[in-house]
Amino acid sequence: MQRPDWAPESIDIERPSVARMYDYYLGGSHNFAVDRAAAQAMIAAVPEAPLMAQANRAFLRRAVQFLIDAGVRQFLDIGSGIPTVGNVHEIAQRAAPDARVVYVDVDPVAVAHSREILAGNDRATVLHGDLRNPERILEHPEVHKLLDFTRPVAVMIVAVLHFVPDSDDPAGIIATFRETLAPGSYLTLSQASDDGRRADERAEAEHVYQRTDNPLRVRSRAEFVRLFDGFTLVEPGLVWVPQWRPDSPEGAEDGEASGFIGGVGRLGG
Amino acid sequence: MEWVGSVVDQDQPTAPTPAPSGLTAFVDAWAKAVSGTSYVPMTPAQLQEFLAGLTVRLVEALRSEPFGLRTGQQVGAELVGAHIASAEGLGRTLEVIDLRLLRDLDLAGAGLHDRMARLLGAVAAGYARALRDRTLDEQETIRRAAMVAREQAEQALRESEARFRHQATHDPLTDLPNRTLFTERLGAALDRSGPQSRRLGVCFVDLDGFKMINDTLGHQVGDLLLVSVADRLRRTIGDHLVARLGGDEFVILVEETTCTDDVLKVADAALAAIGATEVVDGHELTVSASIGIVERPVRGTTASELMRAADITLHWAKAAGKGRWALFDPERNERELARYALSAAMPGALDRAEFYVDYQPLVSLETGGLLGVEALVRWDHPQLGRLRPDQFITLAEETGLIVRLGGWVLAEACRQARRWLDLSPRAPYVSVNLAVRQVQDPGLVDEVIEVLDRTGLPPEQLQLEITESALMSAADRPVQALRRLADVGIRIAIDDFGTGYSNLAYLRSLPVRGLKVAGSFVAGLRAADGPASHTDERILAALVTLAHTLDLTVTAEGVETAGQAERLRSIGCEAAQGWHFGRPGPSARIAALLA
Ligand SMILES: C[S@@+](CC[C@H](N)C(=O)[O-])C[C@H]1O[C@@H](n2cnc3c(N)ncnc32)[C@H](O)[C@@H]1O
Repeated sequence: MQRPDWAPESIDIERPSVARMYDYYLGGSHNFAVDRAAAQAMIAAVPEAPLMAQANRAFLRRAVQFLIDAGVRQFLDIGSGIPTVGNVHEIAQRAAPDARVVYVDVDPVAVAHSREILAGNDRATVLHGDLRNPERILEHPEVHKLLDFTRPVAVMIVAVLHFVPDSDDPAGIIATFRETLAPGSYLTLSQASDDGRRADERAEAEHVYQRTDNPLRVRSRAEFVRLFDGFTLVEPGLVWVPQWRPDSPEGAEDGEASGFIGGVGRLGG
Repeated sequence: MEWVGSVVDQDQPTAPTPAPSGLTAFVDAWAKAVSGTSYVPMTPAQLQEFLAGLTVRLVEALRSEPFGLRTGQQVGAELVGAHIASAEGLGRTLEVIDLRLLRDLDLAGAGLHDRMARLLGAVAAGYARALRDRTLDEQETIRRAAMVAREQAEQALRESEARFRHQATHDPLTDLPNRTLFTERLGAALDRSGPQSRRLGVCFVDLDGFKMINDTLGHQVGDLLLVSVADRLRRTIGDHLVARLGGDEFVILVEETTCTDDVLKVADAALAAIGATEVVDGHELTVSASIGIVERPVRGTTASELMRAADITLHWAKAAGKGRWALFDPERNERELARYALSAAMPGALDRAEFYVDYQPLVSLETGGLLGVEALVRWDHPQLGRLRPDQFITLAEETGLIVRLGGWVLAEACRQARRWLDLSPRAPYVSVNLAVRQVQDPGLVDEVIEVLDRTGLPPEQLQLEITESALMSAADRPVQALRRLADVGIRIAIDDFGTGYSNLAYLRSLPVRGLKVAGSFVAGLRAADGPASHTDERILAALVTLAHTLDLTVTAEGVETAGQAERLRSIGCEAAQGWHFGRPGPSARIAALLA
């Protein structure tokens, strides 16, 4: 039976959470023993896991900076995670104090934590929502309090889509956002990719994430690029995340080791 | 302390900037060393700038006089503050400083290596302390977040349970409590302990003519009206529980009443509130309601009894003309229940042959001879004993069973009359009552002729009695039926003449052979020479004269004394019936008369 609408989910901190595992990879302490145990198992299977997470997080930072430079002042960050360091609002509001940010995450602990961090910031908010139900997010009054969809909005779905199986129709989800966005809006995506990975590593990683609420669905570049349907990829396109507009030429070295591909698309030419 | 360094000017308290190339080389090495140890939210250029700043302070610390640990500790803490915060980050930092700082920046001097050792110790201590504090802080915040999330989930669960409970106990249209909640509250009110004398009341409220509003203005208007009525009830009598049972039925629970009057006041208020004209969706609507009220001591009653009684009483209010309340009356209820039981038992009784027929003589006033007998149905009820027609004929008429029962009486009477005819050629005719429904029954003529055929009774030996009102209300078809029966030779008589319109002129056009004058006229003849008696006698005389003019014979009913008989004879009345001439009795008694 499906959970009826009125029945809230329970909070189970006995299960590892991908949000808190990610925090551990980034060097944070916003995690519990179960999270650390799962993260360490992942590191045993894929020793570069922390570096991959850091590379992804750095991609997020550069993408936000790029978007600010492109004149975007509204951000909808879905699957925002535990606000450890270098959050979208920190980057965006440092560069442009009038930038507005709405965070969405499905993990109630991550949401509660974000809420505490954002207390007193009236240009950023967080809400509990599921990427797989985009209408619900787009109709949410909190979203409309901060974001004006008649103007460009940057939708960020960074390091989340590998938790969305094909059966949940990721292309359809993104199409829903696309239909709501004004021309000049942007879509930023990244996700784990198995291009060039060994099959046993991938199997191990998938095995670790079976323990969480979010089984892993890695995608090849060819599969992932379809999610940008209707958007124009900005330079340099969909690439290994370290290669996406690196701060310095050395930064782009050894891109494949990052295990993440990402890119930014623009709507309406 | 004395020490020498190429970049150090002993006379200057503040140090000049170290040689850029050396500094850059060192900072590069440092940045590279810590890269990947934890996520640092900075561009490489920002990181270099940050580390360069720290480098300058480290050099200052090495040269400061006297040497202190503060700067080293601060640098350690600032690294953590910039998220270069991991065991590896510390290890590599110490390594880079130890191996390269003096060399890259070209520092030299006595005791500098000692100072370096102490500086590294200070950086490590500052770093470790800051990292520990940060870890504890982060642990605290994430635990708090987990707690908050859990509390919120529990709160949401409680709210959804409350919402669910509300949904389960309230009517979605009007948001009034529903039957479930009402039943619960009534049950609780009945179970609650308290003084023996506690009382309570229940009002069943039903809108009058609601179906018509729904049918003519549509369900939407109907629904809006229900919402409006609900609001008015809630506002007016919100002190008491008002619930919607479904459709246009509401119920009010009045607890802790002291007497019936308490509930009547509530019912009056409800009627007034409902009766107010309200504009609903542009229609000015006025509805009335009917209310069934029960008010009684809590002791000895049950919820289902109360509900049933209120429901019955509601029907009384409706039957009494709507727009009013009715109060439950146990005696009336008893009577109705008895009547109901009786009417329900009747079909079975007919099958079980619990009915039988008695016969009462109709005697000629001229000769004293037996002209006919009236067949009168009786019910030998197994529990209640013998029942007279007035105890069950109306019920049979209401339920429609009268057609079957009347048919049975006709057949039985004809069979009996035929037997008497076999005993004597002077045998009386038999007179059988026809109910309105029988007269209207399209199969009447065929049925009567079939009975005559089957029993072999000549038509002249059968008289059918019809009440005046049955004839007056009759349409064309029944009149034709009577005419056909009369044509066959059956007598048709008007029963109970004088109690209805007594329209003699109308009778002229009907195939009627005789009148039976109601006993009430005859009763007036009892008091020997009183003035009343005189008037009644004159009326009767006029009636007989008129009847004769129309070629109708007159039979008087309810004749109880010889005096009455004598007077009826003297005014020309042909026949009579009553205790004076014989009570109704079994067929055998008639047979005996004929022997
Ligand atoms: C790896 S973190 C990414 C955090 C951040 N976007 C970044 O890239 O630095 C993934 C986050 O996605 C969230 N997530 C997973 N599935 C989700 C869904 N269906 N809807 C919303 N959030 C989801 C997880 O709770 C977690 O916080």
